[in-house]
Amino acid sequence: MRRKGKIPAFTETMDLKEYIELVFNDYTLRTITLGTAILGAVTGMLGSFAVLRKQSLLGDAISHAALPGIAIAFLITGSKDSNTLLVGALISGLIGTFWIRGIIAKTHLKSDTALGLILSLFFGFGMLLLTFIQKQPNANQAGLDKYLFGQAATLVESDVWLMAIITGLCLFVLLFFWKEFKLFLFDTDYAKTLGFNTNFIDILITSFIVLAIVLGLQTVGVVLMSAMLLAPAAAARQWTNSLSKMVVLAAVFGAFSGVLGTAISASQNNLSTGPVIVIIASVFVIFSFIFSPSRGLLFRQIRFIANRRDLELQKTLAFMYHIAETHEDISHPHTIKILNNFQGYTRKTLQKLVDKNYVTLDGTMWSLTEKGFETAANLYNQQAIKDE
Amino acid sequence: MNSAQIEIQLIASLVAIACAIPGTFLVLRKMAMISDAISHSILPGLVIGFFITQDLNSPLLILLAALTGIITVVLVERIQKTGLVKEDTAIGLVFPALFSIGVILIAKNANDIHLDVDAVLLGELAFAPFDRLIIAGADIGPKSLWVIGTILAITIGLLIAFFKELKISTFDAGLAASLGFSPALIHYGLMTMASITTVGAFDAVGAILVVALMIAPAASAYLLTTDLKKMLGLAIAFGVFSAISGYWLAHWLDASIAGSITTMLGILFLIIYLFAPNKGLIAVMYREKQQRTEVSLLTFLLHLKNHSEERERHVNHLQEHINWQKVRAKTVLDLALKNNMILINNKIVSLTQKGDEFTSKAIDYIITNEDAQIEDMKDDFFLFRG
Amino acid sequence: MENKIVEKSSPLSSGNIAVQVDDLTVAYNYKPVLWDIDLEIPEGVLMAIVGPNGAGKSTLIKAILGILKPIAGSVSIYGKPYDEQRKLVAYVPQKGSVDWDFPTTALDVVMMGTYGSLGWIKRPGQKEKKAALEALEKVGMLPFKGRQISQLSGGQQQRIFLARALVQDASIYFMDEPFQGVDATTEVAIINILKDLRKAGKTVIVVHHDLQTVPEYFDWVTFLNVKKIATGPVKDIFNDDNLTKTYGINYKVSIQE
Repeated sequence: MRRKGKIPAFTETMDLKEYIELVFNDYTLRTITLGTAILGAVTGMLGSFAVLRKQSLLGDAISHAALPGIAIAFLITGSKDSNTLLVGALISGLIGTFWIRGIIAKTHLKSDTALGLILSLFFGFGMLLLTFIQKQPNANQAGLDKYLFGQAATLVESDVWLMAIITGLCLFVLLFFWKEFKLFLFDTDYAKTLGFNTNFIDILITSFIVLAIVLGLQTVGVVLMSAMLLAPAAAARQWTNSLSKMVVLAAVFGAFSGVLGTAISASQNNLSTGPVIVIIASVFVIFSFIFSPSRGLLFRQIRFIANRRDLELQKTLAFMYHIAETHEDISHPHTIKILNNFQGYTRKTLQKLVDKNYVTLDGTMWSLTEKGFETAANLYNQQAIKDE
Repeated sequence: MNSAQIEIQLIASLVAIACAIPGTFLVLRKMAMISDAISHSILPGLVIGFFITQDLNSPLLILLAALTGIITVVLVERIQKTGLVKEDTAIGLVFPALFSIGVILIAKNANDIHLDVDAVLLGELAFAPFDRLIIAGADIGPKSLWVIGTILAITIGLLIAFFKELKISTFDAGLAASLGFSPALIHYGLMTMASITTVGAFDAVGAILVVALMIAPAASAYLLTTDLKKMLGLAIAFGVFSAISGYWLAHWLDASIAGSITTMLGILFLIIYLFAPNKGLIAVMYREKQQRTEVSLLTFLLHLKNHSEERERHVNHLQEHINWQKVRAKTVLDLALKNNMILINNKIVSLTQKGDEFTSKAIDYIITNEDAQIEDMKDDFFLFRG
Repeated sequence: MENKIVEKSSPLSSGNIAVQVDDLTVAYNYKPVLWDIDLEIPEGVLMAIVGPNGAGKSTLIKAILGILKPIAGSVSIYGKPYDEQRKLVAYVPQKGSVDWDFPTTALDVVMMGTYGSLGWIKRPGQKEKKAALEALEKVGMLPFKGRQISQLSGGQQQRIFLARALVQDASIYFMDEPFQGVDATTEVAIINILKDLRKAGKTVIVVHHDLQTVPEYFDWVTFLNVKKIATGPVKDIFNDDNLTKTYGINYKVSIQE
């Protein structure tokens, strides 16, 4: 892999404090860190919308579809100025997006086929153009292939300014139309009946997503761009049930992935920034999937086991209740042996019932306490309420 | 044409066929994007396989890389099952992560591995003829020709052996299960073949082109036929055509062969997308226009049948009340007159005998949805076809 | 009782037509699903739209509300086009039409009912929040206001949707299968709210599946199967003849009464 213009190699022994000082003092590192942070924030923010609209893979298609635009912009203008190339990328990304919609709307091809088609065909055409450009004798073409995998090291201050301005614009629109965006994302038909122009909102959101993707191409590259969009949003979704918090969290996760990814790739030799950022973002996702208190797999499993245990306890108690019911004196002792026939009974459950003061033990005999009897009687009523 | 050129075209064609077969089923099963995911996430498998075998064409490496592809599929399904994210998000999360791991593995071991990420993504078909397979001192052709040839032979063998099962499980998974074919087995079998094909093809044509060769010919064929066998045949033909014409395009432009083949696929798809006789854009738009007129005509006739009041049957009413624009109202009126469906007396429209019968029949069909009654109407009306 | 309501809400006595549909033809992908529908819905009725699957019941509502664009025909709400009368109309979509895993709370969803009167950009304030809380109270969901919507039962979700429509404080309510997949308690709660709405002089139009409950719940009914079969007071037209015309050969339903 060609990796020109790598971030100046920092020694591996450098400690955190030195690194932070370096971020503030070193122009290149500061620019890259700021750039990736802003990029992570804006893609995380907009990614939340893409994820909630079930358009997760659209980002992948758009980023690939942007490639021929970059090549054509270069062929027409002969300029390597990143803003010019981004305009080309933006146009071809938008064409790809609307073509995908056209294919889905007017043919029987399914959305994933349409996405895969546009993604691979545009990318292939882009490659044709890039290789064609490289063979041109006059071309100062070197550097176009940075858009494939991205090269954060080529970011300059003006790029970061552009990112900041667009992020600001995006933030402004987001705050301005927040209510409309939320309504549109949740229930488009309802938004229509309330008199909102849903086409306008749709085009607004889609355009900003395309814009964010195009912005990130130089840094993260065509291939990995979609992860920047999805990963922070998918991680953020696990921690909150509020759209606004999700968007903010996704922006934070995205920005952190950018900063951490830059730091790690700067402190190691031979590591390009894009893949490292994606790995960091993926780590956020895995962590969130497992450790989120409300949705996470770990706590879900713990709750599942706890529920099952509760259920076993309740079943045993109910079984005892039925036996005790037959006697006038509820505390009449019974032999433990009867319980052995009951599935789900173990010594442990019995001990637990004793601990909770539902049952008293006397040698090989057990008897229900007053408290245990009442609890068991209530179980039935509760069950009836739950079922309803 | 020298022998290297012939060999390149041969390899490209075989790759195209080997991709078109699983691709057709992926497109029909709405799993096209899975091929994109597989093609990216085999990278770490390739790198690890390369550590072990030191040979890009070794069967072991191909199997190891294909295994990563299957792991991707399983991982995606596992994440989908948790319900933590939407289904397509799962795909979008898994493959960039695996691809990144691959890129980093290569970067960290740059000195030991002569693997180029660009080459993995884009392939370099032009170099394929230089890596020869030599057995007992005899040169029996380029290695990648043998690799892809073997994969293709296996694919065709499996296709013929399990055609019935594949067909049923693709169109009706429930039926397949009730007949005793495990849909899961066929699903993972297909995923395995797709992964192996992707790995076998990537070093000739690159990961992204594999995706294009899987999806584009199948999608193009899908727009032309509904018959599975014909669809497979067409997809193969489109793939081979693009492979050969793409090669010459690259030759002429002095550009990437993979990119050129993809571009030819794109042009082919664009043409079919626009001009396919039934499902193409132009046909669909023409049919929609036709249907709009026919629906309008029927609406109009129905309206006449439903209303005996003169007020409702006045010529102007069509415009005011039914809410049509002038042009449309006139088209409908003319069409009805031309077909002797209506009479106009003093600007009052009424149904003729023919119009009345026609309307009753159409309504019967619309309500009962029984085809038999309107066989003869199908010739005149788009509306009642398919 | 039944007679009294019908009398009170019959078009002759109130004189107002709440919804008028003229020659409405609607198509999905240019395949017509509704043909030449003429319909007058008098003010103050509680009306069921019944018909077999694929009869176009939801389509009729969606076309009236402008979600689908009709091929022909027109709709007026109290004599004016829908666009001018939006604020008089509230809508309860099918529960399955949205993603219930969306990150939002019950109260938040109900607040959305106020967005229409707020218009573009303006944010909901205390007044809107109060209205939303009142609506939650009405459907018995106040204790669940902060609950993430995916953690609500099907019946509770339906009540949230109903509350969202109540917040709109409209004159005409369109509901797409509000009893679909809800528990018995919710069904009773919903029908009581609908009856309250009618008492307050509102017009309620409900896509309904369960023919058995039509006479009990509704006072007005429209039979629909691609064409309009019949419309009118339940006591006059809810009979085997119309049911057969709508559902096919010899359809019989045991009508209570």
